[in-house]
Amino acid sequence: MTAALLSITVRALLNRRRTLLLALVGVLLVVVAALFRLSAPGDDEANRFALRLLGNFGLGVVLPLVAVIVGTAALGSELDDGTIVYLLAKPVARWRIIAVKFLVTWLVTSLLVAPAVFIAGVVTNGDTTLALGFAVAALVGGLEYAAIFLALSLITSRALIIGLAYVVVWEGVVAGLFEATRGFSVRQHALAVAEALGGDGANGVGELGIGFALAVTAVVTALAIGLAVRRLQEVELRGETA
Amino acid sequence: MSDIRLEAVSRWYGNVVAVNDVTFDVGAGITGLLGPNGAGKTTLLHMMAGFLAPSAGSVKLDDTPTWRHPDLYRSVGFVPEREAVYPFLTGRAFVNASARLHGIEDAAAATDRAIGMVALEAAAGRAIGGYSKGMRQRVKVAAALVHDPPVLILDEPFNGMDPRQRLHMMDMLRRMAAEGRTILFSSHILEEVERLSDRVLVVVAGRLAASGDFRRIRRLMTDRPHSFTVRSSDDRALARELLADATVEAVELHDGTLTVRTGDYGALTRAIAPAAQRARASLLELRPADESLESVFSYLVRR
Repeated sequence: MTAALLSITVRALLNRRRTLLLALVGVLLVVVAALFRLSAPGDDEANRFALRLLGNFGLGVVLPLVAVIVGTAALGSELDDGTIVYLLAKPVARWRIIAVKFLVTWLVTSLLVAPAVFIAGVVTNGDTTLALGFAVAALVGGLEYAAIFLALSLITSRALIIGLAYVVVWEGVVAGLFEATRGFSVRQHALAVAEALGGDGANGVGELGIGFALAVTAVVTALAIGLAVRRLQEVELRGETA
Repeated sequence: MSDIRLEAVSRWYGNVVAVNDVTFDVGAGITGLLGPNGAGKTTLLHMMAGFLAPSAGSVKLDDTPTWRHPDLYRSVGFVPEREAVYPFLTGRAFVNASARLHGIEDAAAATDRAIGMVALEAAAGRAIGGYSKGMRQRVKVAAALVHDPPVLILDEPFNGMDPRQRLHMMDMLRRMAAEGRTILFSSHILEEVERLSDRVLVVVAGRLAASGDFRRIRRLMTDRPHSFTVRSSDDRALARELLADATVEAVELHDGTLTVRTGDYGALTRAIAPAAQRARASLLELRPADESLESVFSYLVRR
């Protein structure tokens, strides 16, 4: 039964033009990297640019943007148009539905972001260790984002708007201004991973210890998934006129 | 052996009461849930199908509350009113996915059987996005039937169907009921309910207005006072003749409109032509003044 759920979810996501457009955001990352390379920079400059491009734009913009759109659509689009009834009217444990939706969100997000991050990194300065570190960071950050946005889509019907606001306000501004909030910034968790795996080129890019970052990632992901399961168990379907 | 039991069930959304203290049992056979739009039919069906929690009272399938018991869907098929079905799937893929989500071992065979039951073989290979309303309705029914459930709940199943599809669906539901299943469907069309169901539940404004054998309810509905608007070449003469007829309760001539009230629908329609003849008036128009379903329902509620 999991396979059927998986295939419907993947097809629903890939069938949306929005999802396909998202692939272009990843392409943009690579294009910016290529343009930079064409300006024939020096080694130091290339490394600084790679950190900014992959850290700020890749992990800070592309990853959350893709995750919020995919994550809020994975279950949210079915809640919106009422097709969720065909899932709910089945003797399938609700945690299983969430597990599949989470997995698909993460896989699709990863597929759209991680390769683009890796290629952009390699193109910028040829440092494959750095590029790989950031790509893995995108995979780890994707887990946390996928869980958060999936849960959000079960809490509010305006999940996409609220999710985008969260990305811009919390991840973009607040977490940059106050040190105390950085422990709860998904981008900082991902940057810690990039620093740990990215070799010498990634030194100093993160501000959190890797152990702490991974622990918070695990806890937030688990809590968000637990919340999503709970919400799905209690989701109520009203008639169109109600 | 599958009964849906509602006991003192109410459901409100904020300040709005959608269902108000409703108690009934639905057993094997076909039961029609009749009521005007907005009467609370969908709210009732969704509570029975476990998609809504009752605000008060209990909704059970046999002895298990329907809310938060997804295992019950092994024995319940639900056909929602909303038309949205995954547009990118073919009819067959949709029914097949349902079969697999139900954990049916031979999903392909179950899919073929369900598609055959709704006679959708010809269109099964096409994407649902291109289906007509009637085809969508049938593919939804096929998906709800694929696990051969003893209980089938259908929300406005005849919406958008042409007369031939409607007859076919009625035959199918009758067949399934004859096999001992519990079938409950909602409709706002009197005639559909009359033709199909053994038992009727009439809901108006969230309350159960009447329940039981359809013939009894039909009698309640036809025996109520009826009003007709009449137009003729000589309304005054016709009014005089009509008043002499025992079946007529009241005659009103107001602003050039003749309104006749009777307690016996059939007798009046038989009496009016002879009356016109006696009055030497030509009958131009005879029109029921209040035959909308809403007026029938509101009469039932006032009783």
